[in-house]
Amino acid sequence: MSIDKELREELRQAADSMHCPPDLYGRVRQSYQHYLNEKRGRAPMKKRMIAGIVAVAILIPSTVFAASYLADDIFGSSATIEQHGGTQEDYQEIDGMLQAAKGKLTEDEFKEYSELTKQLMQLKLKITDENGVAHEEELSKEEQQQFEQIASKLAPYFEKINGAAKP
Amino acid sequence: MNDKELLMWLEKATSGDESAFQLVYQATHQDIYRTVAFLVFNKQDIEDIVNEVYVGMWRSFHAYDPNRPFRYWLHGITVRQVQDWKRKAWRRIRLFERNRQMTCEQYEWTDKAVLQSEMQHELSSHVLKLSYKLRVVVILRYFHDYALEEIADLLQIPVGTVKSRNHLALKQLRKRFEMMGGDAYVH
Repeated sequence: MSIDKELREELRQAADSMHCPPDLYGRVRQSYQHYLNEKRGRAPMKKRMIAGIVAVAILIPSTVFAASYLADDIFGSSATIEQHGGTQEDYQEIDGMLQAAKGKLTEDEFKEYSELTKQLMQLKLKITDENGVAHEEELSKEEQQQFEQIASKLAPYFEKINGAAKP
Repeated sequence: MNDKELLMWLEKATSGDESAFQLVYQATHQDIYRTVAFLVFNKQDIEDIVNEVYVGMWRSFHAYDPNRPFRYWLHGITVRQVQDWKRKAWRRIRLFERNRQMTCEQYEWTDKAVLQSEMQHELSSHVLKLSYKLRVVVILRYFHDYALEEIADLLQIPVGTVKSRNHLALKQLRKRFEMMGGDAYVH
């Protein structure tokens, strides 16, 4: 008899004498049920994942906007000063000033300060042409008065900010 | 139960039909158990692996290719689980090198002895003494009747390697059998 045939025969006989212990069924059944529970639990898990992703998708842009320039409150966006000959760097410089002011002033003071700055900047933008050259003669009398008024109101704030910066 | 029916039951089982699970278990557990028992000797380990094979079965059912025989797919999972277990065991052994030498080998040896006395078959007891790499080829070739190419695919090794392992296994079996005073086999 060839060894191939003998091997086949003997292995079959040997296998026949091996019996799977009956209590293994209970164990496999348990892990089967565990699998089913896990599978059923997976659907709400998926929903939760999607909800999480949506929440993150909403939160990220809003935090990005929140972290953007303080100067946006005054100009709207950097495009505004770019139309008047300013650059992105100028914009950041102004923003830096505002950041410094925010650090030095109280909340109410800062509100007032940025409101005044906004008015002042609007007047300034009005008289500044595309090349960044100011034409003060273009202001009406009323506007000139307004300009001075604002400037005088702002003066104490500037003192406070610069004074604290250079004691 | 043919492949088609078995697949139908398995599909039902994976979607939660417990009686279908029972049928699948009845149809497959002896085959899985015997295959694993030829490859691993510790009784506890055999049971652990059989359990893992079932878990692997319903977890990867979605990846089953219906053009292939069910048994082939099942043996693929079984062999992979045994190999995973071997890898893990090897890692365990490295960590507890000293313990292994004290207890593990002895443990394995007693289990082997139990299995051998159970069998009473000369040649198959020699098969159990082959190294794992040779033994797995012999089991797939002579117990499950797979072609060399199929074994190569199941074990993820080149066909040439399967051939040489098969050859080496037969050579060792002949030699051991002769040494035990049995009849010499012709080629």
